[in-house]
Amino acid sequence: MRLSISMGRMMAMAALVLAVASCNTNNSNSELDLIPVNSVTVQEYTVSLFAEKEPETGFNMLYWQIEKDGDRIEPQQFSITPMMDMGEMMHSTPYTEPQTAEEDDRYLKNMVVFIMPGGAMGSWSVPFEIRTQDDQLITGELPINVDSSWKLTSVRSESDKIYFITWYSPQNPVSGNNELAFMVHTRESMMSFPPVSDAELLVYPYMDMGGGSGHSTDFTNPVATGNGMYEGDINYSMSGVWTTSVELTVNGETLPEVVFEYSVQAK
Amino acid sequence: MKNLISLVIIILITISNVLGQQQIQIVDEESQSPIPGAHILDSTGEVISITDRDGTFKIEPNHQQIIITAVGYENRSISLDSSVHLIALRPAVFHQTTELLVVGNEDRNDVRSYQNQKPIQSMDRFLENIDGLSMTKRGAFGWEPVIRGQSDQRMNLVIDGMQVFKACVDKMDPITSYVEMNNLSRLKIDKSGAGVAENGTGNSTVNLITQKAGPERLTMDLSSGLRLPDNLRTIQMSGNVADKPGRNSIRFSGSYKKADDFEAGNNQTVENTQYEKFNLNLNYRHTFASNHSVELNYITDKAYDVGYPALLMDATKALADIGQLKFNFAPTSQHFRFKSVMLYANAIRHTMDDYERDVANRTVMRGMYMPMYGTTTTFGTKLAGSATVQSHSFDWFVDGFTSEAYGDMLMQSLDSSIEDMMIYNLDEVRTNNVGIGFRHRFNLSDSVLLKIEENLRYKSLNTLSETHQSFFEGLYDRELSARQRILPSVSGNLLWMIDDRWSTGASVVYSERMGNHMELFGHYIYNYTDGYFYDGNPWLKTERSINTDFNITKESGNQSFSLSLFYKQYFNYIDGILSDDLSNNDFRFKRYANVGDAVLMGGEFRSIHTLSRSFRLENRFSYTYAQNQTLDEPLPLIPPLRGFSTLHFHAGTFRVMTDLEWAARQERIAQISSNEDATNAYAVVNISVEKGWADDSIQTVLQMNNITNEFYHTHTSIGNIYEAGRSMMLSVRVKI
Repeated sequence: MRLSISMGRMMAMAALVLAVASCNTNNSNSELDLIPVNSVTVQEYTVSLFAEKEPETGFNMLYWQIEKDGDRIEPQQFSITPMMDMGEMMHSTPYTEPQTAEEDDRYLKNMVVFIMPGGAMGSWSVPFEIRTQDDQLITGELPINVDSSWKLTSVRSESDKIYFITWYSPQNPVSGNNELAFMVHTRESMMSFPPVSDAELLVYPYMDMGGGSGHSTDFTNPVATGNGMYEGDINYSMSGVWTTSVELTVNGETLPEVVFEYSVQAK
Repeated sequence: MKNLISLVIIILITISNVLGQQQIQIVDEESQSPIPGAHILDSTGEVISITDRDGTFKIEPNHQQIIITAVGYENRSISLDSSVHLIALRPAVFHQTTELLVVGNEDRNDVRSYQNQKPIQSMDRFLENIDGLSMTKRGAFGWEPVIRGQSDQRMNLVIDGMQVFKACVDKMDPITSYVEMNNLSRLKIDKSGAGVAENGTGNSTVNLITQKAGPERLTMDLSSGLRLPDNLRTIQMSGNVADKPGRNSIRFSGSYKKADDFEAGNNQTVENTQYEKFNLNLNYRHTFASNHSVELNYITDKAYDVGYPALLMDATKALADIGQLKFNFAPTSQHFRFKSVMLYANAIRHTMDDYERDVANRTVMRGMYMPMYGTTTTFGTKLAGSATVQSHSFDWFVDGFTSEAYGDMLMQSLDSSIEDMMIYNLDEVRTNNVGIGFRHRFNLSDSVLLKIEENLRYKSLNTLSETHQSFFEGLYDRELSARQRILPSVSGNLLWMIDDRWSTGASVVYSERMGNHMELFGHYIYNYTDGYFYDGNPWLKTERSINTDFNITKESGNQSFSLSLFYKQYFNYIDGILSDDLSNNDFRFKRYANVGDAVLMGGEFRSIHTLSRSFRLENRFSYTYAQNQTLDEPLPLIPPLRGFSTLHFHAGTFRVMTDLEWAARQERIAQISSNEDATNAYAVVNISVEKGWADDSIQTVLQMNNITNEFYHTHTSIGNIYEAGRSMMLSVRVKI
């Protein structure tokens, strides 16, 4: 039984790889470099999920493709609700609904911030609804694995309100100038995670060079640009392990400092 | 009838005399342009002819020895025979105002020239003894020359006119280290930078002119020496081989040196002052029947285990390969003439690390190793010639090169949990340069000569690395493209030969300088003089300067002196300014910027007194006053008043030379832009005893330096590293 499941998964993955390869071949304008994540077939409709990297905590861009009998279709509507099942409780996470990808209209894409990894604590899945052009409603669920990463942290206010601070960019820090951007969300309920756009961020990059010495580098403090996004610049003087502390001030309350620790590549 | 016969006889005699005369043209050795008004003297000093507009004169064949003098040129004595139709004079007049000819192996003795008295002497020591020059030191090896307080980017340091860029971002590899004394023909030092047509920048210039293959059938020169207590072992060899007509000739030279740590005047060993060095030079010359010639020159220099006590690390490997192909054109009388065309290429690689240092307990970059690597690769061409337009003759020069620089530093923490860090100090930084220059000479009278030079350069600097580029874009919040400049420079020289003993001259130089690749695109470069890390600034404005120079010289048989005074004003002076936002106790940062104005002034004096047939006394003094006018403090690394007095004694092949080398206390120090401290005065005595044997074909030299064991350091010693104490060197030289 296990062998047949594994074989099925392998064939599905192989099909996804072929699909991605053929997609990339067919559309020379697309610069997307996607990997297959998972797929599920419901009532002859196959929903495939792709991403630029394996899903991880923090910011992810998800790319969806829907096929029927091997042919890509454009549904009337496609909606999702990422869910974490922790056994005794379930909750969602910050996300947006899928829209046609501007960079490649064969995909629908949406943003999601996974606020915890999958694993012993619980597992992630993405329930979805497809309303076809002939008004048929197809529902299903796509389980996904979410790895842990350094790109998400959270902090609580004195009133125990939690804020999720997501490292939006650079996704792959390299020496030189990088756009520095964060996303901030809060939790109103287990299903509602609205963006926080009126906070102030104070950041400070630092490299600990050992022996009790270290230094910062040139940067521009991120400022709110709307929809929970805060944008600035960071100019890494060298490769190696850097930390960037973030101090969030919301409604006049300065929350405890959180620190992102990550590796910067030379090139 | 009788009168008629007499007239015919007179006419016939006159015609026969005229037909029997020899016609000779006098030309400029560099430009090959004719020299009108040159005086031809016989052996008694009587003027027997003067050259016409075409530089020609006629002379009867009974004059076998003549002396040629011309304003602006060195006198030349020559033995005539029927084959002589062209005589070239070396331009010399303006050397009196702007240039020093430093002679490696020739036996010159005038107030404008220096000669290397000690064949084993290092290039560094040789340069340091020239007034107006000082050396920035970091240990026993690789001293960096400084002219009148200006170094590195503010001076041109070239080998045979070739641009060679240092590969070490910490300036541990000045290119003077690539030419050994046994391969040096001449040093052409233009302190004022007035030779803008050729140097292209108006900067003070040192050109190391290497020995070239000659027509000698077979010569060989071997020397070896041992110095104590640092155990400097040297062995040098050079030779020349030519075929019988002298059309094909090869010159080769090689040297090997190895030294241990030296001891300072307190008898304490100065750690990390050892070095090992190998140098090889090959030169091939072929002369065509048309008198055109082609030269191929190659220098390779390898240094290993070079200690730098003033720095955080030592050079484990410094490699240089320098090649040149040059075509020399035979003189012609055409209106547009080529003198030479040169193509060259060089690659410098520099590797250093601190694996042998105690990195756990130092104050800077503590707890980590920092191996560094740097390289520069340069390709270039130089063309020279002369032209005549509407009876005006001038020299022209074209100079072009492209160079790419790279430098990185890896940081490996002693704490194994800390990931390696890496910095690109320079990444794919490209310098492109092309310039054209002209030199004009105007004889205003028999004794006054005016020289005008101008140069126009296009220079661009860029980095082809996206990450390196993005760093500067982020730092200055500007979009970066190739930085380009048109850089004019112009000079005027006036010389007045007052009489046959006195001459005076003055020059004015205007020049514009674009920052170099380190000033524009250097990143995280540690400056050992002030302890700051520097970042470049691609948007630096052009630094401008005006230099005025005055010189007066008296030359006579027994007493000669030369006094030079200069005043140089800088505008938009490029220097570092603090980056307080990033600095802390461990790391302090600066960025290059145009900081305002600066001024340098001073002078040099040199005299030679021939006291008797055996004794000669030479004195040299130099002083530079340098002030950052914006900060109202002295510029850093400016030597104090200093001097050399040398008493020469010679009797046959026995020679003794006693040097007194001294410097006053330097209290003019930079404390805002740098962290200098005052330096005490010192005086050092050196004695050299030479004896020639077997017709001087074997020479022995006993050289004793700092015989009083003075414990001192120069003001330009980075990190106040003390100089070597008493040392003794014995060397033997054999000439075949």
